[in-house]
Amino acid sequence: MLSEVAPRTSLPVLELDDVSFAYGRTPILRQVSLCLHEGEFVAVVGANGSGKTTLMKLALGLLRASGGRIRLFATEIGTFGDWGKVGYVPQRATAMSALPVSVEEVVQSGLAASTRLFRRRSPAQRERLEHVVDLLGLTPHRRSRISELSGGQQQRALIARALVTAPRLLIMDEPTAGVDADARGVLRDSLEHLVNVEGMAVVYVSHDPEAFAGLAHRVVEVDGGRVHTAGQDRDVLAEVT
Amino acid sequence: MNPLELGFMQRALVGCVVIAAVAPLVGSFIVQRGQSLVGDGMGHVAFAGVGVAFLIGADPVAGALAFTVLAGLLLVRMGRAGLAGDLALALIFYGGIAVGYLFSSRANAGQSRLVGLLFGSPLNLSWGQIRVIVALAAVVVVVTAALYPRLVALAFDEQAARVAGVPTDRIVLALTLMVALVVVGGMSSIGLLLISAMMVVPVAAAAQLSSSYRTTLLVASGIGAVSALVGLLASYYRDYAPASAIVLVALACYLLASAWRGLNRRWRPSISPR
Repeated sequence: MLSEVAPRTSLPVLELDDVSFAYGRTPILRQVSLCLHEGEFVAVVGANGSGKTTLMKLALGLLRASGGRIRLFATEIGTFGDWGKVGYVPQRATAMSALPVSVEEVVQSGLAASTRLFRRRSPAQRERLEHVVDLLGLTPHRRSRISELSGGQQQRALIARALVTAPRLLIMDEPTAGVDADARGVLRDSLEHLVNVEGMAVVYVSHDPEAFAGLAHRVVEVDGGRVHTAGQDRDVLAEVT
Repeated sequence: MNPLELGFMQRALVGCVVIAAVAPLVGSFIVQRGQSLVGDGMGHVAFAGVGVAFLIGADPVAGALAFTVLAGLLLVRMGRAGLAGDLALALIFYGGIAVGYLFSSRANAGQSRLVGLLFGSPLNLSWGQIRVIVALAAVVVVVTAALYPRLVALAFDEQAARVAGVPTDRIVLALTLMVALVVVGGMSSIGLLLISAMMVVPVAAAAQLSSSYRTTLLVASGIGAVSALVGLLASYYRDYAPASAIVLVALACYLLASAWRGLNRRWRPSISPR
């Protein structure tokens, strides 16, 4: 179980200090602060529309904060350039594709930024690709069309894409939405390995506390535009059960 | 008489096959991004450039190229500002064709010349025009090969690509400019209104036969080339309008591929993924 230990001695990988965000004149987040260290698993919960996806997009640089500071690996997000250190797993809906796409191609696309012109992948990149495909149990499906796989397998392909650059921070948006119990089990095992063995920091956005039960070191709740520390995941589970 | 021995047919074949093979390379990315009609819109904008070129006595290809490149830059800027909605695009594209016809009429360009640019006139291609087509196609092939992983990442999921460090704004710009090059390259052979079909229809056909993106792209390019060849030969023997015949052959390929996939699904045991 991960939730017993919350490492704080390592370097912060993500820091939000008094971050605010508004859509026009409508405030979404108000002076939010959050700090995440290497090897730490933080679950972000909140009702639909509470601002948890906005929080995630701010941390990924997809939205610009109207106030406060965001730092990734001790670098201001505006000047941060080492995006290979950050993995992002969107909701599974984005796995839907107009054209046939194989699992291997989806995973490879995570290497796009670091692949040189005219598409030469380094041996290290190829090795990492094999590793993540194997880690997530996708080897038998690597040449299959992603649209023909189950929801859980599609989600694992998106996670593999996020992991193929060997990130130190993984941000996941509702990764188990619409995923069956077996696939959730595989995902849990993979996350446990990534945090415990590889020392990765994970931000896990979900409205379902069951999804991260036993995994999270800390649970934070987004409510009314503010972030509250809700404790360890067992406390949150106790509240909802 | 063997049509391949005729100079005008040789030029038509080279011009049409080259651009029809290259158009789906770009088309695969715009289809995946849900922008199948961008090529059509660019054709409208190119017509404005042709109209202005007629009016000032410039080369129509140069006019079309200038206008489509400017439109490409404008579209990318509008996209960044969140203004590239359906209505904004329609205003630009329909404005383009209105301006094109207005200026062409003022310049007394002649109906047959205009129809040739809108619907293609491959049998009238000169070797000079062929060189322009091949040069534009070569640029598209080289840029596609150079940027392929980034274009694929962008087409699959723009937000994830941006987080992964892909300079998505620049890749969108490169893709938009490639659409412009294909439209201008196909202007004289397949026509401004029909070249966009060759960006989309072969891709739709190839998607029925492939299980990967890369295969789709290559098969689509092959379907484009074969459609141009068969369409031109059909137009020679049956006196059809060449560009229309090319697009209709591509559509026939799509119908055949869809039927093949449908039959394949019925014969194949159902898959029950875990």
